[in-house]
Order: sequence, then structure tokens, then C-alpha cells
Amino acid sequence: MTTLYIDDKEVTVPANTSILEACRMHGVDVPYFCYHPELKVAANCRMCLVEVEGWPKPAASCCTPVAEDMRVRTQTETLKKDRKMVMEYLLIHHPLDCPVCDQGGDCKLQDYSVEHGASQGRYVEPKRRTEDKNLGPFITTCMTRCIHCTRCVRFAEEVAGTGDMGVLNRGDHMRIDSIVEDTLRSELAGNLAELCPVGALLDKPSNDVSRPWELERHHSTCIQCPHGCDVIIESRGDEVIRIKHDPEGAEAWICDRGRYVYDAFRSDDRLLVPAVRKQGELLACDWNEALTRARELLKDKKVGIIFSPSWSLEGLTSIRLLHDAVMNEAKVAFDLHRRDMRPFAFEEGLSMSTAEIEAADEVVILGSDLRQRLPILMQRLRRRVANGKALTRIGAMNYRTNTSPGKDALIRPRDWPAVIARAMEQLKDVGKGSPAMEAWLERVPARHEAGKLLADALMAERCAVLVGEEIRAHEDAAALIHGIDLLMRSAGHGEAGDDGRNLIPEGMNAQVLSAVFGDIRTGVGELLQAAEAGELDALMLVGSDPLGDGLFSMQARRVLRQVPLVQVGAIGGQIAEFADVQLPAAAYSEIEGTFVNMEGRVRIADKPLRSIGEERPLWKVMMRLTQELGADDVPAVSLDELRQKAAVFMPELADVFAGKKGAEWRMPTARNRNARCLPSGVEPAMALDIVSRFSMYREGAWARASGLLREAGQLFALPDVLVHPHTLRQLGLEEGECVIRTASGEITHHVGTREDVAEGVLFVAKRGGAGDLSTETSASLRGV
Amino acid sequence: MIPSDPSKVTAICFDRIHLPGQATLEVARKNGAYSYLPTVLNEMNREQIIEQVKISGLRGRGGAGFPTGLKWSFVPRNTGKPTYLLCNADEGEPGTFKDRDIMRFDPHLLIEGMIMAGFALGVHDAYIYIRGEFLHEANVMNAAIKEAYAANLLGEHILGTDFSMHLTVHRGAGAYVCGEETALIESLEGRPGRPRFKPPFPAVEGFYRCPTVVNNVETLATIPAILEHGGQWHKQIGVPNSAGMKIFSVSGHVNKPGNYEVPMGMPLRVLVEEYCGGLQHGDVPKAVIPGGSSTPWLGPEHYDVPLAYDEIHKAGSMLGSGAVIIMDETADVVALTRRLSHFYAHESCGQCTPCREGTGWLERVMLRLEAGGCNARDIEVLQDASEHMAGRTICALADGAAAPILSLLRMFPDEVNSYLAENKA
Repeated sequence: MTTLYIDDKEVTVPANTSILEACRMHGVDVPYFCYHPELKVAANCRMCLVEVEGWPKPAASCCTPVAEDMRVRTQTETLKKDRKMVMEYLLIHHPLDCPVCDQGGDCKLQDYSVEHGASQGRYVEPKRRTEDKNLGPFITTCMTRCIHCTRCVRFAEEVAGTGDMGVLNRGDHMRIDSIVEDTLRSELAGNLAELCPVGALLDKPSNDVSRPWELERHHSTCIQCPHGCDVIIESRGDEVIRIKHDPEGAEAWICDRGRYVYDAFRSDDRLLVPAVRKQGELLACDWNEALTRARELLKDKKVGIIFSPSWSLEGLTSIRLLHDAVMNEAKVAFDLHRRDMRPFAFEEGLSMSTAEIEAADEVVILGSDLRQRLPILMQRLRRRVANGKALTRIGAMNYRTNTSPGKDALIRPRDWPAVIARAMEQLKDVGKGSPAMEAWLERVPARHEAGKLLADALMAERCAVLVGEEIRAHEDAAALIHGIDLLMRSAGHGEAGDDGRNLIPEGMNAQVLSAVFGDIRTGVGELLQAAEAGELDALMLVGSDPLGDGLFSMQARRVLRQVPLVQVGAIGGQIAEFADVQLPAAAYSEIEGTFVNMEGRVRIADKPLRSIGEERPLWKVMMRLTQELGADDVPAVSLDELRQKAAVFMPELADVFAGKKGAEWRMPTARNRNARCLPSGVEPAMALDIVSRFSMYREGAWARASGLLREAGQLFALPDVLVHPHTLRQLGLEEGECVIRTASGEITHHVGTREDVAEGVLFVAKRGGAGDLSTETSASLRGV
Repeated sequence: MIPSDPSKVTAICFDRIHLPGQATLEVARKNGAYSYLPTVLNEMNREQIIEQVKISGLRGRGGAGFPTGLKWSFVPRNTGKPTYLLCNADEGEPGTFKDRDIMRFDPHLLIEGMIMAGFALGVHDAYIYIRGEFLHEANVMNAAIKEAYAANLLGEHILGTDFSMHLTVHRGAGAYVCGEETALIESLEGRPGRPRFKPPFPAVEGFYRCPTVVNNVETLATIPAILEHGGQWHKQIGVPNSAGMKIFSVSGHVNKPGNYEVPMGMPLRVLVEEYCGGLQHGDVPKAVIPGGSSTPWLGPEHYDVPLAYDEIHKAGSMLGSGAVIIMDETADVVALTRRLSHFYAHESCGQCTPCREGTGWLERVMLRLEAGGCNARDIEVLQDASEHMAGRTICALADGAAAPILSLLRMFPDEVNSYLAENKA
């Protein structure tokens, strides 16, 4: 620690802190533009100058480390003049267009101009001419306003990892440019608008729509991926204008999916009124009529319920209460991506926080497209690599992560048992075998060298294993996860709170789902199979869209054609055409509610927007339906009551709701210590493994309802079916139309190539003609 | 030969510069080059060399005048990283043309100095960052380096010792700011030449974030003489705190402009009148820029200032790189300042606000002033914009840009006034 004096006040800060950070820690206001806590220091704006006693010149506080007994002055006459001059320099070429600039009212330059600037500039020479840039669908530019702080350049380099912004030219010809004259290819692009201290880079979709001071800010939790980032929803009245990063949140950025999904809030796909189908047409009606029709379809019937995991904890609990009260026999499922329903040795959810993962000695990604699925975690891992720390990745594709993990292996899903077995052998060789391991190994004759990377990483003191969708969706997932658990135990990672076992969930609230539905859940595949076999009278989809998401689209389409459907949700989407009744539930922006993210962090939203139609919070819809279906008592009539009921499943929640757990408390993930699943030994039927590709711009009903995300999805799309060029060559085929055969039939489709896909893998998008391929696990290719 | 009696020394860096064929290894060796190198490599250790350089009182000849031995002693050892030696040959300061002569006429002197410095610092790879326009000089250097490699003076196991050092010439691309050592490092790494903020200093984190020493050509060329004759010998040349010889590049209104290596402490008047053939017009100069265009001007009252670090500092300027620009009574100081302002506006790297915006602004106002379009309020702008640029940026380019304008306004207010619109009309 270092003790110094800032404006005669004694302060103590960690050694090597910069003066600016010391000032910020102690509430001393030093103005700055280029400094950003998440970016490397550039020290170029020169606004943060301070004086240090005994130094001949003022010092830039952002790049000057504190020293013992240093005496810093932040408010002197010279500094006032210096700041005034920096403002004058910056405003030389800056237009006076605050009244038409979206940044106006929320602008560092404007604020400092009032605080530190002169009332009039003295520059009368010709002004600089600039050209605006095309930075893609999310960022609009007005480069005359640029003050060259290079925050955006550093962001592209250090955070996005794309490095596609830079500085050209020198002196006052200097300009920020997108080096390749191309759009910014980043899933984090939206942060640029927030990052830019002036109005040079602005949010394109919300540009010229509102003024900052008209907007109300609502703290909320993003549900677009399991990360559950803290966000601020900005609204004018009841209209969502944009979503921004919450500066008080746990992460430094939010991704474009979580940000631009707001377009869905006002889309035509929103369910805003109840509706029933009459003569083949969905017609708006009142709640009573819709509920009556729902009752006819559901009461005393054999029902299947598939719901989305991203409802609030209260909403999810209300589904369970509905089940227990009036639909005891109903089959309940929620995970559209799980084929193997046997219990997993460690269930979905992270045992570590993202910060702990970033700091671990070793991190291993096992089969996950983190950049698309968890872009903010990927960003942390990118930073980890930039700081020289190890990252190991084993999986079917390198997933264009904009970073180079030191250790990388491309494998097919069918190789996972051999990979794990290879790792087990290595541990055995150093005397860390176990009888359970022997039993597991006995079932797997093959060995895959990628296992060495896994075993090597596991030898570290703290190793974070991130198990992704390639394993979670595997037909033999329980055996693979058991195998990984055995490996971790042998390597000394005994079970503890943050023991490195991280199974990346598909959606939010994984821990809640384990606790509330663990005993009654069934697989989506099983449920749809029962429906197809005529064992179900009706289907209720609660926010779930099995046509667009998950691994069961083909079965779901067949079922929806034959079984009556009650749709409950906030987005109609493609499910609407099958719905017999629609009950509108409120969007996540419109409810008070509790959300648990993959780390188990709990967030309570308590300042919702008002509903814009007749939609109601899911729990109210569920309770009303319970009543309609003949319950004598409605299980909960208030949010408080509902939370008490939720605490029955999760006793720690009582403390959470009583405010006795801090913001850092994390709900533990479920473990199944006795789940001993051995590899099946069953080889896939066909030569190529199918890996379903996740697109952050396309997956999820919300994303599909957002025109902005659709546009980005098209812009950044890869061919729908991808294989390694070697795979095609071995089959004597060329890039282009091919016949793809699976257990469910043949389709002819364009097959593209990429060298970063594992050989022997068919990497497929969930859309268009290739959409249903995700329902299968293996395929073969031949020429047309 | 450089005499071992310090009072008889007339040149160090330029001692053999006039000898025909000195750029070739054969001639240079005949004239004594590399003769003391085996003694250094075989009989001295790193500490002894650094100690001698410290004792010698040698200060960096590139402009800042930082004690060379002290700079070398800051380099951390056993960091597990390589240490680099970079020779700053990006001689770009307007008025300076001394390093160029060393390189084109006596390249082996620089190479020898770099081998000795590299040995003292444990360097395995050294670079000469040479100004882009110095194509001929780069060719001469490269030819000399080739000869040195062939003679086992560079490369692995130099002269059969355990010491190995490689030397590479890198040509700059014409940016003045790359003469600033951290910009030089950035440029050498392949990035745009923009100075880094300090700390960390290059001695700790320089080239590729490894310990790095950046020394000027003249500094390194002085090392062989210091090691051969001893630090004490060098210290006795010149005046206290400004030891040794110094090359002054004299230009402007003198009859014999050129490079003159003289003992430090020589009065400016002596340099001008006895070496440079006196002023073209008048008895005293109207103004003198003593250390390159970035240093504040001195007036006729300082004509007798000793050319030494402390004395020039006391007079209100800096010795800088030793580029003495003499203005006699015929000089149009406003036009001259306008020209210098153009230089700095063109050469500003653009990263720091005051310099990026200030240098362009100053140039435009100066253009207007010269054209008779300014009023008294513009003079205030010149003053303010210069004052709040100097010392407020990452590197000293802004200080250099401010120096001519502040000097002009301080020394020649009447002349400036005569250019104002109201007076011109």
C-alpha cells in the first residue's frame, strides 16, 4: 500500500495505482476522456493533468503511478487554465451541434465544456473535414465529433480482439478509421457507442429517436444467454428505446444480442392480447374467453408442457405450482438441447464466477462456441490469453474466437470418450488411477491424443473446466460428464464450492430448474415422442419455441400439426401459426422478478416498465389458469407468497428475499454423486458427426423477433452447412450442392468448407433447409 | 590519434573523419579502429565499463543530456529477457547534421562504440535506427557492418570471446518524432511512431517490452575513446558537469557553417567567430537557437554563453543536440517562426490533444500573422496555445513547437506587432 496526499487529504491506495485511480477511489473529481478502467492506458487526452509537488511539469494522472508521500494537487489555477486550453483544443474542430447530437445531455465533452471550458472558442481558421464510417448495423458515426481518445481503437484491439479499428495519419490530420474499410465484425460492437465519450460513435438503431433526459432507466437482467448480465433498459414512457450496460453490474460489457434484442420488444411478434383460433384464424379476444378455451383443451387431459428456462424464478415456480395443483399427470420438459436425460455428475451451472474462471491457473473449454453463446465470458478469456495465461480448447470447431488458445484440438463428437480415456490413462500413469476409472476405461478401447491437453490442464492447482453444448447435447452425455468428474477427482479437484466443474447451461436459471423441476422433468424428445404416439391430448408451450431452437425441430413440427396447442408467452413467432389459444405473458422488461444466472448470481428486478398491452406476468397467467382448471385454492396470490413457495424448493432463497445474502452470493449447482454412467460404446450410424451451430443473432424466440439481430445475423452468416475441405476431398466431393443423408431421410443442400471445422464433422445452422439436420447426430454425404 | 593528454585533445568523434577511405575496415583499422576492443572484451567486465563511463561525465548527445553511465546502470539484470541496445540515428532535429558525418565518414567508430556498449550491457541484438532520408549513410553503415561481420567484429563469439552481438540497420520512414526514443522503439517494432508514456522507462520495458538502452550516435562514438583513455581523461576535457568534446552543427548567418567538434564550455562567440568565420552581418547575432529548433532562443546578451549544459540552461535554453542556428540582423524572425511552426504541425504524431490540435492551430495563426491578417487577440492565442502545450504532452515535441513561438513573442514583440493588420495597413 502507498500513502499519498491528494489536495492535502491523506489517502492510502495499493502500490502502483495510478494517481487518477487513486483520485477515483477517494471521490476526487479529475476530468478525463481517454482513460477507461477496462482498457489499457493511452494518456493522450491530457485532460487529467494534475500537479505533483516538486515536479517541474504537470503530470497526466492516468499514467503516473502513486509514490509514497507524493503530494498531488488537482485544483490549481494553472490546472484550471490547462483544462480550459485542452477543452479549447478539443473544440477547435468539434461542431457545435449538441442540439441534434444523440450524445447531447449524456456527453463528457459537453459536461466538461460547461465545467472546465471557456464560453467561447478563439479558433477562426478553417475546420477539419472528415468522412463518416460504415461500422455495421449497430454503430453510426459522425467523425467530426471525434476527439481522438482512441478508446474505440483500444476496444477493438483489446476487448473485441478484432483490431479492425485504428488510427491513420498524424498531427491534426489524424483520424480514427476502420482499417479495412469494412464493417466491424464483433459481437460486442454495441459497446462502442457507450464507450465513445462524445457523439462520434453512436447507437445506430436508437439514433435520432430520443434525448437522454427523456428516458427512464430500469435495472434489469438480460435473459438472452445464461450469463444474465446486468442491464439498464432505457424507456420513454412504456416504450423501450434501448438497452445499455449497467455500470454497476458484474461485467464490463454487454453483447449485441443482449443489447439489440430490444427491437423485439416492439415487434409485431409480441403477444399483447389473448387470442383463440376460430375457423382456422387466430382472433383477439378477452382473457376470459381465452382461458375458457384453454380450459377446454387442458382440463383433465393428458398434457405436455414445454417451457423456456428464461422466465423469472417466480414464473418458473408458478409453472410447478400449476403442475402440482391441477396437472399432476402432465409431462414437463424445458431443455430443448438435451438428449440424455440421465442425471449428470454435475448438473448445469458454473461452480465458479466468471472472474474466478478468468483468474484460474488453467482453463479448458470442452466443446463450446463461447463467442456466440457466452460472448462476455469469451471476452474475459480473450483478456486472459492477452495477459499470457493458458487456455485450452477441445471441440468440433475453433469458433472464430479472435484469440489463439495456446492449446487447441479439433475433434469429432464421437471422439469424446476416447479423449477422456486418453486423459484417464495419463492420470493413471502418474499413479492417480481409481477403480471407477478402470470401469469407465474398460468400455472405451480408443484413445484420442487431444486427451493429453485435458490431462495436462487438470494437473494445475486451479483448473476451470468449461463443459459445453457438444458434450451436454451428446447422446451419451451423462457418461462423458461422469468421466470428466472422475478425471477431476483423480487430479485432486475434489468437490468444493468452486471446484472447477462448470457445465454451461443452455439458458438462465439452471440452478432453479434443477431444484424446482429436478424430480418431475422429462426430456423434450421423450415428451414429443409420447405426443406423436398419441399419448398426449394437448401441448402447452410456455415461451418455448422447439421449431426454431434446440434439437427436436422435426418431431416438434409433426407434433404441432396433430396436437392442440396452448401458447403462453411474450413472443408469438413461428409457433403462433399452430396455436389454438394464446395467453400473453409479460416480457422480462415488464415484470418484477428474480433471475439466477449460470454462476448462481441472483438478481431481483424491481422497477419494471408498464405492460404495453394486456399481457400479464407469467405467474399471474399461471395462477389464473390454475384457478380456471379447477383448483380450490390458488397456490399464490401475491409475489411474496410465490416467493415463499419458491423457498420450499430452494431454502436459501428465503434469505435472499429477506436481503440477508449479499449481491455476491451464488446459488450452488446440483450434483449427483452417485450418477455412475459408463460409456455406451455405441458408434454413430453414419460416417460424419453432426454438430449443431449456435448463432447469437438467430437463436431464441426473442432474437428472432428482433429485426436488428436478424440483419446482423444475415450480415455475419456463414454457409448453413460447413465441413472441412479434407472431408469433402476424401469423399471425392467438391464445395457445392451435396446430398446429405441422415436417419430421417435425405436432403440436397449446399455444403461449404472451412478449415477450422474438425474433419469428419458436419457443422450445421438451425435454419432454412438445413434446419432439421440438428435433430440428428450423424450423417453421410454424397454427390448430387 | 587522440592524445592521452586531455588538454591536447582536439577531436574525439571527428578525430579520423577526414582520413581518406576511413569508411572501410582496412583503412579504419590501419588508423587505429578496434585496436582497443580486444582489451575491453578480454580484460574489462561490465561493471568496470559502466564505472568508467560514469566517471567520464559523458552525457547523452542526442538532446536531453542524460548521463550515459547512469542510464546504463538503470538496466535491470537477470530479468530473463534479452537486453537491447538501440542507436538513435534518426537525426531529424532541424539544424542538426552531426551524426550523419560520423556515419558516412567513420562508420566503424560507431560500430566499435556499439560493440563496447553492447558488451557492457549484455546485449545480443543491437539496432541502428537511421533516419529514412539517410540512404547513403545507411548504405555506408551496412557495408561497414558487413565488413565487421566478416572480420568477426560482429556476430557470434566476437574476436574469439564469449561475447556475441548482432547489429542491424533499420531505416525510418521520415518521421521526426521517431527520434524520440519511445517512438523510435514503437517504430522499430513495426508500429506507427507514437511516443509511449513513461514510466515504464525503456531501460526497464523498452523494445518488445524488454530492457533497452537508446543512445545517440555521437554518444556511442565517444565510448571507444573513453574506454581507451579512461573516464578520468574524458572528464578533464570540457568544463565541470559538461565533460568532453561536443560536435556543434552551426548553420544560419555565419560565413562558414558546418560541423565543429570543440571542447564543451567554449563560449558561443568563440565558436562563431574563430571557427565559423563570424557573422554575415553585424557584430552580434539577432538571435541564436543553441540546441536545435526545439530549444528556446537566446538573444545577443547571451553571445558569450559557454556552450555547456548548465550554462545554457541558466541562460534560458538548452544545449540540445548542439545545433546552433545563428540569426543575424537580416533575419525575418516571423517568417522563420512560421516555417518552424509548419514543421511541427507536420511532424506532430497526433496522439496528445494539445500537440495534435495546437501545432496545426499555431501554424495557421502564424501564416495569417505573416500575411498581415492578425490582430492583438491572435497574439494572445499564440501565447496561450503554446504555453499550455509545452510540458503537457507525452513527449517533448509540443515543447519544441512552443519554443520558437514563445521565443518570438518574448524577444521580438515589436517585430510581431509590425506584422499585425492594423500596423501593416
